[in-house]
Amino acid sequence: MALPGNELLSFTRRLSEGWTLRPKSVPQSGLGMLKIKESAFDEPFYLGEFPVTSAWLAVTTPDGQSAEGAAQVMDDRVELAEALALCDAVLSGHLPGWQDVVSLLERGQALRQTTNNERKLILARTQVDFSLLDDAGDNDAEA
Amino acid sequence: MLKLDPIWQPDAQQENFRLLLDAMARPGHRYTLDTLPENGTVALTVLATLLDAEVSLDDPHALLRHEDWPMLQAQSTSTEQADYILCDATQTADFTPKLGTLPSPELSATILLVVDNIGKGNLQLKLTGPGIKDDRSLSITGLDSTWLSKREEWNCAFPLGVDLILIDDKQVAALPRTTKVEVI
Repeated sequence: MALPGNELLSFTRRLSEGWTLRPKSVPQSGLGMLKIKESAFDEPFYLGEFPVTSAWLAVTTPDGQSAEGAAQVMDDRVELAEALALCDAVLSGHLPGWQDVVSLLERGQALRQTTNNERKLILARTQVDFSLLDDAGDNDAEA
Repeated sequence: MLKLDPIWQPDAQQENFRLLLDAMARPGHRYTLDTLPENGTVALTVLATLLDAEVSLDDPHALLRHEDWPMLQAQSTSTEQADYILCDATQTADFTPKLGTLPSPELSATILLVVDNIGKGNLQLKLTGPGIKDDRSLSITGLDSTWLSKREEWNCAFPLGVDLILIDDKQVAALPRTTKVEVI
């Protein structure tokens, strides 16, 4: 999620005023384990843990429209997963305010693209030209 | 943002878990549930406390609503394979649950029986065994007699067997496999 969490939370609070939100499963927060295989003996080991939170809810608007949404996010804030699940429901059911959710998504995508470009630039700066080492090696041999 | 029924909240579940431990330690003693579900069967309070995604449940008498299952997260399975079985005690016992194995008797089923009333009724039981000083009497309404005969059959090869939890509209009482039950 690229947008600040507080902005998303205040947006969903405003959006869902007067709506009925019902949990479809108990929102949960915990740790996920990242398991990979090491290359020497091909044995699995846990590289590390990451926070993970999930939410699944049903929304009903005052005019009777309803939809379901769910979210699983690498974060330990349950309310954030609930907010994303609400956005998912609003988009899937085209509930009132779905255009605002689309514009938030587009802003988030643009922010993410900017971050990715910056990271690529930083990575490109760290690249080393190893072809020069060959010349240096030849000089040493001659000396 | 989401409002959860108190039975799904950690505080209530911890209190209910303590209550269930006490109930298993003192068979036949009636305990009152402080937290009851806003909708659905009262057994949901007990199920919400005991179940998670690692265990399996069967509901042969369809006491649960469709929307209760994702909240409980338990895997649905056959009565013969289930870790927990929720039953209407007014109906007959017509299955054989998991009884565990000698090295792992804990791999048996726990049966939750929804009765009409615990503490009142014409079915009078005399209980003896661990956790009971001398004996204890327990009256029940809405328990088909087949449950007691089947229980005796299931528990005849201790430590194999099943543990029963009786639930009415606000109380629970436990009949672990170690308790001897006589109908007075």
